[in-house]
Amino acid sequence: VETSPSFTVPPDDVQEKVAFMFNNLTLQNLQKKADEILAMVQVQHLEWLAHYMVLRRISIEPNYHNLYVAYIELHRDGEFPFKVLSETYRNIKVLLQADKGDANFSDRSLLKNLGHWLGMFTLAKSRPVLQKDLAVKHLLLEAYVRGQQDMLYVVPFVTKVLESCGQKGCVFRPPNPWTMAILGVLVEIHGLPSIKLNLKFEIEVLCKNLSLELKDISTKGALANADKLRVMQLAAPGEPPATAT
Amino acid sequence: EINLMDELTLKGITEFYAFVEEKQKIHCLNTLVAKLQINQAIIFCNSAQRVELLARKITELGYSCYFIHARMRQDHRNRVFHDFKAGHCRNLVCTDLFTRGIDIQAVNVVINFDFPRNAETYLHRVGRSGRFGHLGLAISLVTEKDKELLCRIEKELGTMIRPVPKIVDKELYVSSPS
Repeated sequence: VETSPSFTVPPDDVQEKVAFMFNNLTLQNLQKKADEILAMVQVQHLEWLAHYMVLRRISIEPNYHNLYVAYIELHRDGEFPFKVLSETYRNIKVLLQADKGDANFSDRSLLKNLGHWLGMFTLAKSRPVLQKDLAVKHLLLEAYVRGQQDMLYVVPFVTKVLESCGQKGCVFRPPNPWTMAILGVLVEIHGLPSIKLNLKFEIEVLCKNLSLELKDISTKGALANADKLRVMQLAAPGEPPATAT
Repeated sequence: EINLMDELTLKGITEFYAFVEEKQKIHCLNTLVAKLQINQAIIFCNSAQRVELLARKITELGYSCYFIHARMRQDHRNRVFHDFKAGHCRNLVCTDLFTRGIDIQAVNVVINFDFPRNAETYLHRVGRSGRFGHLGLAISLVTEKDKELLCRIEKELGTMIRPVPKIVDKELYVSSPS
Protein backbone atom coordinates (compact mmCIF):
# COMPACT_ATOMS: atom_id res chain seq x y z
CA VAL A 1 0.00 0.00 0.00
CA GLU A 2 1.14 3.47 -0.79
CA THR A 3 2.92 5.59 1.73
CA SER A 4 0.35 6.88 4.07
CA PRO A 5 -0.76 10.36 5.05
CA SER A 6 1.25 12.21 7.60
CA PHE A 7 1.17 10.76 11.05
CA THR A 8 3.73 10.45 13.80
CA VAL A 9 5.27 7.05 14.22
CA PRO A 10 6.10 6.02 17.78
CA PRO A 11 9.64 4.87 18.65
CA ASP A 12 10.66 1.29 17.84
CA ASP A 13 10.34 0.00 21.38
CA VAL A 14 6.73 1.18 21.57
CA GLN A 15 5.99 -0.40 18.18
CA GLU A 16 7.40 -3.69 19.43
CA LYS A 17 5.38 -3.55 22.61
CA VAL A 18 2.23 -2.90 20.63
CA ALA A 19 3.03 -5.82 18.32
CA PHE A 20 3.56 -8.02 21.38
CA MET A 21 0.17 -6.94 22.78
CA PHE A 22 -1.63 -7.64 19.54
CA ASN A 23 0.10 -10.99 19.24
CA ASN A 24 -1.49 -11.89 22.55
CA LEU A 25 -4.81 -10.05 22.34
CA THR A 26 -7.93 -12.19 22.85
CA LEU A 27 -11.50 -11.62 23.98
CA GLN A 28 -10.61 -12.92 27.43
CA ASN A 29 -7.87 -10.42 28.16
CA LEU A 30 -9.26 -7.60 26.05
CA GLN A 31 -9.81 -4.99 28.75
CA LYS A 32 -6.44 -5.56 30.35
CA LYS A 33 -4.48 -5.46 27.11
CA ALA A 34 -6.47 -2.51 25.81
CA ASP A 35 -5.50 -0.53 28.91
CA GLU A 36 -1.88 -1.53 28.46
CA ILE A 37 -1.85 -0.47 24.83
CA LEU A 38 -3.51 2.82 25.66
CA ALA A 39 -0.93 3.48 28.36
CA MET A 40 1.86 3.05 25.82
CA VAL A 41 0.47 4.86 22.81
CA GLN A 42 0.21 8.63 23.02
CA VAL A 43 -2.58 10.68 21.51
CA GLN A 44 -0.47 11.82 18.58
CA HIS A 45 0.20 8.17 17.72
CA LEU A 46 -3.43 7.12 17.38
CA GLU A 47 -3.36 7.59 13.60
CA TRP A 48 -0.40 5.29 13.50
CA LEU A 49 -2.27 2.74 15.64
CA ALA A 50 -5.25 2.88 13.28
CA HIS A 51 -2.90 2.43 10.33
CA TYR A 52 -1.16 -0.51 12.01
CA MET A 53 -4.45 -2.18 12.86
CA VAL A 54 -5.90 -1.93 9.37
CA LEU A 55 -2.77 -2.74 7.42
CA ARG A 56 -1.16 -5.33 9.65
CA ARG A 57 -4.05 -6.95 11.46
CA ILE A 58 -7.53 -6.39 10.08
CA SER A 59 -6.63 -6.91 6.43
CA ILE A 60 -4.88 -10.23 7.07
CA GLU A 61 -6.58 -11.66 10.14
CA PRO A 62 -10.27 -12.03 9.25
CA ASN A 63 -10.55 -14.65 11.99
CA TYR A 64 -10.12 -11.87 14.55
CA HIS A 65 -12.45 -9.22 13.15
CA ASN A 66 -14.85 -9.71 16.08
CA LEU A 67 -12.02 -9.15 18.49
CA TYR A 68 -10.86 -5.98 16.75
CA VAL A 69 -14.38 -4.51 16.68
CA ALA A 70 -14.59 -5.14 20.42
CA TYR A 71 -11.15 -3.61 20.94
CA ILE A 72 -12.00 -0.43 19.07
CA GLU A 73 -15.23 -0.02 20.98
CA LEU A 74 -13.35 -0.19 24.25
CA HIS A 75 -11.08 2.61 23.20
CA ARG A 76 -11.55 5.68 25.31
CA ASP A 77 -10.60 8.12 22.58
CA GLY A 78 -13.88 8.95 20.85
CA GLU A 79 -12.13 9.79 17.60
CA PHE A 80 -10.37 6.46 17.29
CA PRO A 81 -13.16 4.53 15.51
CA PHE A 82 -13.29 7.24 12.84
CA LYS A 83 -9.56 7.07 12.40
CA VAL A 84 -9.82 3.33 11.84
CA LEU A 85 -12.71 3.79 9.44
CA SER A 86 -10.97 6.38 7.30
CA GLU A 87 -7.86 4.21 7.24
CA THR A 88 -10.07 1.32 6.11
CA TYR A 89 -11.49 3.36 3.22
CA ARG A 90 -8.03 4.55 2.28
CA ASN A 91 -6.71 0.98 2.05
CA ILE A 92 -9.72 -0.18 0.08
CA LYS A 93 -9.19 2.61 -2.43
CA VAL A 94 -5.53 1.83 -2.81
CA LEU A 95 -6.36 -1.81 -3.52
CA LEU A 96 -9.19 -0.97 -5.93
CA GLN A 97 -6.99 1.41 -7.87
CA ALA A 98 -4.02 -0.93 -7.99
CA ASP A 99 -3.23 -2.86 -11.12
CA LYS A 100 -5.66 -5.76 -11.24
CA GLY A 101 -3.28 -8.38 -12.51
CA ASP A 102 -4.11 -11.87 -13.61
CA ALA A 103 -3.33 -13.91 -10.56
CA ASN A 104 -3.09 -11.40 -7.78
CA PHE A 105 -4.79 -13.61 -5.22
CA SER A 106 -3.25 -11.71 -2.39
CA ASP A 107 -4.90 -8.37 -3.31
CA ARG A 108 -8.16 -10.15 -3.89
CA SER A 109 -8.16 -11.79 -0.50
CA LEU A 110 -7.11 -8.54 1.17
CA LEU A 111 -10.06 -6.82 -0.47
CA LYS A 112 -12.41 -9.55 0.69
CA ASN A 113 -11.08 -9.24 4.21
CA LEU A 114 -11.42 -5.47 4.22
CA GLY A 115 -14.92 -5.79 2.77
CA HIS A 116 -15.93 -8.15 5.54
CA TRP A 117 -14.43 -5.77 8.06
CA LEU A 118 -16.10 -2.69 6.58
CA GLY A 119 -19.52 -4.37 6.73
CA MET A 120 -19.00 -5.43 10.34
CA PHE A 121 -17.77 -2.03 11.39
CA THR A 122 -20.49 -0.01 9.64
CA LEU A 123 -23.60 -1.79 8.31
CA ALA A 124 -23.81 -4.35 11.12
CA LYS A 125 -24.01 -1.43 13.55
CA SER A 126 -26.55 0.39 11.40
CA ARG A 127 -23.98 2.96 10.32
CA PRO A 128 -24.18 3.79 6.62
CA VAL A 129 -21.48 3.39 4.00
CA LEU A 130 -21.68 6.87 2.51
CA GLN A 131 -21.58 7.45 -1.21
CA LYS A 132 -18.71 9.89 -0.78
CA ASP A 133 -16.67 7.24 1.03
CA LEU A 134 -17.50 4.28 -1.17
CA ALA A 135 -20.10 4.27 -3.95
CA VAL A 136 -20.90 0.56 -3.75
CA LYS A 137 -23.43 0.25 -6.57
CA HIS A 138 -21.40 2.43 -8.87
CA LEU A 139 -18.35 0.32 -8.12
CA LEU A 140 -20.14 -2.78 -9.43
CA LEU A 141 -21.32 -1.01 -12.58
CA GLU A 142 -17.88 0.32 -13.26
CA ALA A 143 -16.34 -3.13 -12.81
CA TYR A 144 -18.92 -4.54 -15.21
CA VAL A 145 -18.05 -1.97 -17.85
CA ARG A 146 -14.33 -2.59 -17.39
CA GLY A 147 -14.71 -6.33 -17.74
CA GLN A 148 -14.22 -9.76 -16.25
CA GLN A 149 -10.89 -9.03 -14.59
CA ASP A 150 -12.23 -6.14 -12.52
CA MET A 151 -15.28 -8.12 -11.52
CA LEU A 152 -13.03 -10.79 -9.99
CA TYR A 153 -11.89 -8.14 -7.52
CA VAL A 154 -15.03 -6.11 -7.00
CA VAL A 155 -17.85 -8.67 -6.81
CA PRO A 156 -16.43 -10.75 -3.93
CA PHE A 157 -15.52 -7.53 -2.14
CA VAL A 158 -19.08 -6.19 -2.37
CA THR A 159 -20.68 -9.48 -1.33
CA LYS A 160 -18.46 -9.48 1.75
CA VAL A 161 -19.51 -5.94 2.64
CA LEU A 162 -23.20 -6.79 2.33
CA GLU A 163 -22.90 -9.97 4.37
CA SER A 164 -23.24 -7.88 7.53
CA CYS A 165 -26.68 -6.63 6.46
CA GLY A 166 -28.09 -9.91 7.73
CA GLN A 167 -27.33 -8.95 11.35
CA LYS A 168 -30.27 -8.83 13.71
CA GLY A 169 -31.56 -5.34 14.31
CA CYS A 170 -29.55 -3.87 11.47
CA VAL A 171 -31.42 -1.18 9.54
CA PHE A 172 -29.80 -2.37 6.31
CA ARG A 173 -31.50 -5.75 6.44
CA PRO A 174 -33.54 -6.47 3.32
CA PRO A 175 -35.88 -4.98 2.20
CA ASN A 176 -33.83 -1.84 2.91
CA PRO A 177 -33.79 -0.01 -0.44
CA TRP A 178 -30.07 0.80 -0.39
CA THR A 179 -29.26 -2.87 0.12
CA MET A 180 -31.88 -4.07 -2.38
CA ALA A 181 -30.56 -1.77 -5.10
CA ILE A 182 -27.08 -3.25 -4.78
CA LEU A 183 -28.46 -6.78 -4.58
CA GLY A 184 -30.38 -6.05 -7.79
CA VAL A 185 -27.14 -5.30 -9.61
CA LEU A 186 -25.54 -8.42 -8.17
CA VAL A 187 -28.45 -10.53 -9.40
CA GLU A 188 -28.05 -9.03 -12.89
CA ILE A 189 -24.35 -9.88 -12.77
CA HIS A 190 -25.28 -13.40 -11.65
CA GLY A 191 -27.39 -13.75 -14.80
CA LEU A 192 -24.64 -12.78 -17.22
CA PRO A 193 -23.82 -15.63 -19.59
CA SER A 194 -20.06 -15.16 -19.33
CA ILE A 195 -19.88 -14.81 -15.58
CA LYS A 196 -17.26 -16.87 -13.74
CA LEU A 197 -18.59 -19.68 -11.60
CA ASN A 198 -16.90 -18.53 -8.42
CA LEU A 199 -18.54 -15.10 -8.70
CA LYS A 200 -21.93 -16.72 -9.19
CA PHE A 201 -21.22 -18.74 -6.12
CA GLU A 202 -20.29 -15.68 -4.02
CA ILE A 203 -23.58 -14.03 -4.96
CA GLU A 204 -25.59 -17.15 -4.16
CA VAL A 205 -23.91 -17.48 -0.78
CA LEU A 206 -24.72 -13.86 0.02
CA CYS A 207 -28.38 -14.34 -0.84
CA LYS A 208 -28.50 -17.45 1.28
CA ASN A 209 -26.96 -15.58 4.21
CA LEU A 210 -29.58 -12.86 3.82
CA SER A 211 -32.34 -15.51 3.53
CA LEU A 212 -33.33 -14.31 0.08
CA GLU A 213 -34.04 -16.18 -3.14
CA LEU A 214 -32.30 -14.82 -6.21
CA LYS A 215 -35.53 -14.86 -8.17
CA ASP A 216 -37.27 -12.70 -5.56
CA ILE A 217 -34.86 -9.82 -5.97
CA SER A 218 -36.08 -7.27 -8.46
CA THR A 219 -33.71 -5.88 -11.04
CA LYS A 220 -33.81 -2.56 -12.84
CA GLY A 221 -31.73 -3.15 -15.93
CA ALA A 222 -28.74 -1.37 -14.38
CA LEU A 223 -26.24 -3.27 -16.52
CA ALA A 224 -28.05 -2.40 -19.75
CA ASN A 225 -27.90 1.24 -18.72
CA ALA A 226 -24.21 0.91 -18.02
CA ASP A 227 -23.82 -0.56 -21.51
CA LYS A 228 -25.51 2.49 -23.00
CA LEU A 229 -23.20 4.68 -21.00
CA ARG A 230 -20.22 2.79 -22.39
CA VAL A 231 -21.40 3.33 -25.95
CA MET A 232 -21.79 7.01 -25.21
CA GLN A 233 -18.30 7.17 -23.80
CA LEU A 234 -16.87 5.39 -26.81
CA ALA A 235 -18.58 7.99 -28.97
CA ALA A 236 -16.89 10.75 -27.04
CA PRO A 237 -13.20 9.80 -26.98
CA GLY A 238 -10.95 11.49 -24.48
CA GLU A 239 -13.48 11.32 -21.71
CA PRO A 240 -11.99 9.25 -18.93
CA PRO A 241 -14.34 6.68 -17.46
CA ALA A 242 -15.88 7.74 -14.19
CA THR A 243 -14.02 6.41 -11.21
CA ALA A 244 -16.00 4.93 -8.44
CA THR A 245 -13.67 5.79 -5.69
CA GLU B 1 3.77 -46.77 11.48
CA ILE B 2 3.03 -45.12 8.22
CA ASN B 3 5.64 -42.67 7.07
CA LEU B 4 3.99 -39.69 5.44
CA MET B 5 7.15 -37.73 4.83
CA ASP B 6 6.84 -37.95 1.09
CA GLU B 7 3.43 -36.37 1.10
CA LEU B 8 4.18 -33.41 3.32
CA THR B 9 6.11 -30.55 1.86
CA LEU B 10 7.63 -27.43 3.29
CA LYS B 11 6.57 -25.30 0.38
CA GLY B 12 5.51 -21.81 1.41
CA ILE B 13 7.27 -22.11 4.73
CA THR B 14 10.34 -20.10 5.58
CA GLU B 15 12.64 -21.76 8.09
CA PHE B 16 15.02 -20.04 10.47
CA TYR B 17 17.03 -20.98 13.52
CA ALA B 18 18.28 -18.91 16.42
CA PHE B 19 21.42 -20.09 18.20
CA VAL B 20 20.90 -19.65 21.93
CA GLU B 21 21.83 -21.01 25.32
CA GLU B 22 19.17 -22.89 27.24
CA LYS B 23 18.70 -20.07 29.73
CA GLN B 24 18.26 -17.47 26.98
CA LYS B 25 15.37 -19.29 25.36
CA ILE B 26 12.55 -17.39 27.04
CA HIS B 27 14.22 -14.09 26.31
CA CYS B 28 14.60 -15.12 22.69
CA LEU B 29 10.94 -16.12 22.53
CA ASN B 30 9.95 -12.73 23.93
CA THR B 31 11.98 -10.96 21.28
CA LEU B 32 10.38 -13.03 18.55
CA VAL B 33 6.85 -12.32 19.77
CA ALA B 34 7.64 -8.60 19.87
CA LYS B 35 9.12 -8.56 16.35
CA LEU B 36 6.92 -10.96 14.43
CA GLN B 37 3.35 -10.61 13.37
CA ILE B 38 1.52 -13.59 14.73
CA ASN B 39 -2.02 -14.58 13.94
CA GLN B 40 -1.76 -17.80 15.92
CA ALA B 41 1.40 -19.64 16.91
CA ILE B 42 2.28 -23.15 18.03
CA ILE B 43 5.28 -23.54 20.32
CA PHE B 44 6.80 -27.02 20.64
CA CYS B 45 8.67 -28.50 23.59
CA ASN B 46 10.13 -32.00 23.91
CA SER B 47 8.38 -33.16 27.09
CA ALA B 48 5.07 -32.74 28.85
CA GLN B 49 6.86 -31.34 31.88
CA ARG B 50 8.60 -28.64 29.84
CA VAL B 51 5.31 -27.77 28.15
CA GLU B 52 3.69 -27.02 31.49
CA LEU B 53 6.70 -25.11 32.75
CA LEU B 54 6.92 -22.95 29.66
CA ALA B 55 3.19 -22.33 29.52
CA ARG B 56 3.18 -21.16 33.13
CA LYS B 57 6.23 -18.98 32.59
CA ILE B 58 4.97 -17.18 29.51
CA THR B 59 1.46 -16.75 30.90
CA GLU B 60 3.11 -14.79 33.70
CA LEU B 61 4.80 -12.69 31.03
CA GLY B 62 1.47 -11.68 29.55
CA TYR B 63 1.10 -14.22 26.76
CA SER B 64 -2.26 -15.53 25.74
CA CYS B 65 -1.52 -19.22 25.87
CA TYR B 66 -2.94 -22.71 26.27
CA PHE B 67 -1.05 -25.96 26.53
CA ILE B 68 -1.66 -29.52 25.48
CA HIS B 69 0.24 -32.77 26.02
CA ALA B 70 -0.33 -36.50 26.22
CA ARG B 71 -0.56 -36.67 29.98
CA MET B 72 -3.79 -34.69 29.93
CA ARG B 73 -7.22 -36.28 29.86
CA GLN B 74 -8.64 -36.71 26.39
CA ASP B 75 -11.67 -34.52 27.03
CA HIS B 76 -9.41 -31.72 28.28
CA ARG B 77 -7.25 -32.06 25.19
CA ASN B 78 -10.31 -31.88 22.97
CA ARG B 79 -11.46 -28.77 24.74
CA VAL B 80 -8.09 -27.04 24.40
CA PHE B 81 -7.84 -27.96 20.75
CA HIS B 82 -11.35 -26.76 20.01
CA ASP B 83 -10.87 -23.45 21.80
CA PHE B 84 -7.51 -22.83 20.17
CA LYS B 85 -8.99 -23.50 16.78
CA ALA B 86 -11.83 -21.10 17.56
CA GLY B 87 -9.22 -18.43 18.29
CA HIS B 88 -9.87 -18.04 22.02
CA CYS B 89 -6.17 -17.92 22.51
CA ARG B 90 -3.20 -16.91 20.38
CA ASN B 91 -0.48 -19.34 21.36
CA LEU B 92 -0.45 -23.05 22.03
CA VAL B 93 2.43 -24.76 23.80
CA CYS B 94 2.57 -28.49 23.11
CA THR B 95 4.48 -31.71 22.69
CA ASP B 96 4.69 -33.78 19.54
CA LEU B 97 1.27 -35.13 20.40
CA PHE B 98 -0.04 -32.25 18.40
CA THR B 99 1.93 -32.66 15.22
CA ARG B 100 -0.14 -34.85 12.96
CA GLY B 101 -2.96 -34.18 10.65
CA ILE B 102 -4.11 -31.00 12.27
CA ASP B 103 -5.03 -28.05 10.11
CA ILE B 104 -5.53 -24.68 11.61
CA GLN B 105 -5.50 -22.03 8.94
CA ALA B 106 -4.73 -19.14 11.24
CA VAL B 107 -1.42 -20.58 12.42
CA ASN B 108 1.26 -18.65 10.59
CA VAL B 109 4.16 -19.19 13.00
CA VAL B 110 5.64 -22.36 14.49
CA ILE B 111 8.37 -22.13 17.10
CA ASN B 112 10.53 -25.08 18.11
CA PHE B 113 11.30 -24.03 21.65
CA ASP B 114 13.11 -27.36 21.90
CA PHE B 115 14.68 -28.69 18.75
CA PRO B 116 13.03 -31.93 17.58
CA ARG B 117 14.96 -35.19 17.88
CA ASN B 118 14.61 -36.30 14.27
CA ALA B 119 13.78 -35.18 10.77
CA GLU B 120 10.31 -36.65 10.67
CA THR B 121 9.25 -34.85 13.81
CA TYR B 122 10.71 -31.63 12.47
CA LEU B 123 8.78 -31.97 9.26
CA HIS B 124 5.49 -32.68 10.99
CA ARG B 125 5.90 -29.82 13.43
CA VAL B 126 6.91 -27.24 10.90
CA GLY B 127 4.15 -28.38 8.58
CA ARG B 128 1.63 -26.92 11.06
CA SER B 129 2.06 -23.46 9.62
CA GLY B 130 1.53 -22.59 6.01
CA ARG B 131 -1.28 -25.07 5.42
CA PHE B 132 -3.72 -24.62 2.55
CA GLY B 133 -1.10 -22.89 0.49
CA HIS B 134 -0.85 -20.12 3.05
CA LEU B 135 2.52 -18.77 4.02
CA GLY B 136 4.22 -19.76 7.21
CA LEU B 137 7.25 -19.17 9.32
CA ALA B 138 9.13 -21.74 11.37
CA ILE B 139 11.76 -20.74 13.89
CA SER B 140 13.85 -23.23 15.84
CA LEU B 141 15.75 -22.34 18.98
CA VAL B 142 18.98 -24.28 18.70
CA THR B 143 21.51 -24.91 21.48
CA GLU B 144 25.08 -26.14 21.30
CA LYS B 145 24.04 -29.79 21.58
CA ASP B 146 21.48 -29.50 18.74
CA LYS B 147 24.00 -28.19 16.22
CA GLU B 148 24.83 -31.46 14.50
CA LEU B 149 21.22 -32.56 14.50
CA LEU B 150 20.26 -29.32 12.76
CA CYS B 151 22.73 -30.00 9.96
CA ARG B 152 21.58 -33.60 9.64
CA ILE B 153 17.90 -32.71 9.47
CA GLU B 154 18.59 -29.99 6.96
CA LYS B 155 20.37 -32.53 4.78
CA GLU B 156 17.78 -35.29 5.19
CA LEU B 157 14.92 -33.01 4.24
CA GLY B 158 16.83 -31.20 1.54
CA THR B 159 15.71 -27.93 3.03
CA MET B 160 17.49 -24.79 4.10
CA ILE B 161 17.33 -23.52 7.66
CA ARG B 162 19.02 -20.16 7.89
CA PRO B 163 19.92 -18.01 10.89
CA VAL B 164 17.07 -15.68 11.77
CA PRO B 165 17.76 -12.20 10.37
CA LYS B 166 17.43 -9.01 12.42
CA ILE B 167 14.30 -8.07 10.54
CA VAL B 168 12.10 -10.83 9.19
CA ASP B 169 10.46 -9.80 5.95
CA LYS B 170 6.70 -9.89 6.54
CA GLU B 171 6.16 -10.92 2.94
CA LEU B 172 7.47 -14.34 3.90
CA TYR B 173 4.70 -15.32 6.26
CA VAL B 174 1.80 -12.88 6.06
CA SER B 175 0.18 -12.16 2.74
CA SER B 176 0.41 -8.45 3.34
CA PRO B 177 -0.04 -5.72 0.77
CA SER B 178 3.14 -4.70 -0.98
